[in-house]
Amino acid sequence: MDLGELERDNTGRCRLNSPVPAVCRKEPCVLGVDEAGRGPVLGPMVYAICYCPMSRLADLEALKVADSKTLSESERDRLFAKMEEDGDFVGWALDVLSPNLISTSMLGRVKYNLNSLSHDTAAGLVQYALDQGVNVAQVFVDTVGMPETYQERLQQRFPGIEVTVKAKADALYPVVSAASICAKVARDQAVKNWQFVEKLQDLDTDYGSGYPNDPKTKAWLRKNVEPVFGFPQFVRFSWRTAQSILEKEAEGVTWEDLPTGDQEGQGRITSYFNEKPGNRPHLPHRYFQERGLESATTL
Amino acid sequence: MESGDEEDVEKHRIHLRPVTLRSAPSVTLHLLPCEVGVNRPAPVGRFFTPAIRQGPDGLEVSFRGRRLRGEEVEVPPGLLGYVMAMEEKSLGKQDFPGGSDSDEQELVEPPEALERDFDRFMGASASFQRFTLWGLETVPGPDAKVRAALTWPSLAQAIHAQVPQD
Repeated sequence: MDLGELERDNTGRCRLNSPVPAVCRKEPCVLGVDEAGRGPVLGPMVYAICYCPMSRLADLEALKVADSKTLSESERDRLFAKMEEDGDFVGWALDVLSPNLISTSMLGRVKYNLNSLSHDTAAGLVQYALDQGVNVAQVFVDTVGMPETYQERLQQRFPGIEVTVKAKADALYPVVSAASICAKVARDQAVKNWQFVEKLQDLDTDYGSGYPNDPKTKAWLRKNVEPVFGFPQFVRFSWRTAQSILEKEAEGVTWEDLPTGDQEGQGRITSYFNEKPGNRPHLPHRYFQERGLESATTL
Repeated sequence: MESGDEEDVEKHRIHLRPVTLRSAPSVTLHLLPCEVGVNRPAPVGRFFTPAIRQGPDGLEVSFRGRRLRGEEVEVPPGLLGYVMAMEEKSLGKQDFPGGSDSDEQELVEPPEALERDFDRFMGASASFQRFTLWGLETVPGPDAKVRAALTWPSLAQAIHAQVPQD
């Protein structure tokens, strides 16, 4: 899989796709959606679609695709290579969401949570297939969150397509299994060849599985804290594991949109009578207050 | 600013080392929309600068997992920006480039005046003609506080200028 585009810039998102097989534009197709790397605190999350004509579904099953989690890395690589060989009837597309994109979405002024990000990415890929002229008749999706509401949302967005959202869809439907293999192969490769944006010296890449409960991953995070910048962008800052390490081991950062507490809130109403004269700080003129200007008596 | 500029506030007398203004090296500055609870050098060149991207409408980067949008701000014409630092009492003037003993005669302060314990010295550690102003998720734009603050020098000059008597 050529992830060159991602390796050139991995701060945002990146879409990759196979050529669309001619037969998929003519015949009604089934399309599967799955994801890899949703849980880890490190690296990108990859969304994938895989599609083929309904009439060729038996040929896809004959490849013995299965839920990517039940396969070894070499089996996944072999199956992905086979799908590429069958490019005359199997097509795929990926959306790689960088850890930086995930962090900045989830930590935005307006929070964009991982479920919404996932749903929108999945819908975006289905739309992409339609835009490429794929004759999509059925869509199978491995669920994120509640399958019922997710299915309803997708069905509403794509009224002409029969949408099925199910837990464990990656084990139930071969086309979803195939999508899960595409996603997992891309995620593994992206992590293995990750181009750190930062100029890091003697970086050790022994970060284990990347899952927050992996002791190796935790140890790597602790070792790679930078007191001011936190972590490299390879880390999802929005993960609780990352946040709690930062709270303990990095400098505190106060943002301008910090939810204002009531430290300046009204006290008891009687406080207005108690206030001693001369307690009020002498405030500078509004001109200076509005511009954040203060006289510097110390730095 | 004039040499020997000083201000007596809360028992501090602040002296400026004029020589440091002439020798302050030019630096690249970033003004972030947050406060970091520490004041010391940080590896900006390794963590921050390489992550800056030129987006469709302005500069983009992230800090601590939050998206920043930035733009260049020029110091008003005729002015130069300085990064000022307080001298630690024990460290003395070696803190500042060019603040060597040979230049000390520049200071128009009588020697005995320097021995008071409320005297503080500050000098420029760097100079700048522009800096990058970062906003949280949005470009700070023309209404940014700092842009407004940069109008103060010209106003200050106007209100402190001599007014003809008649």
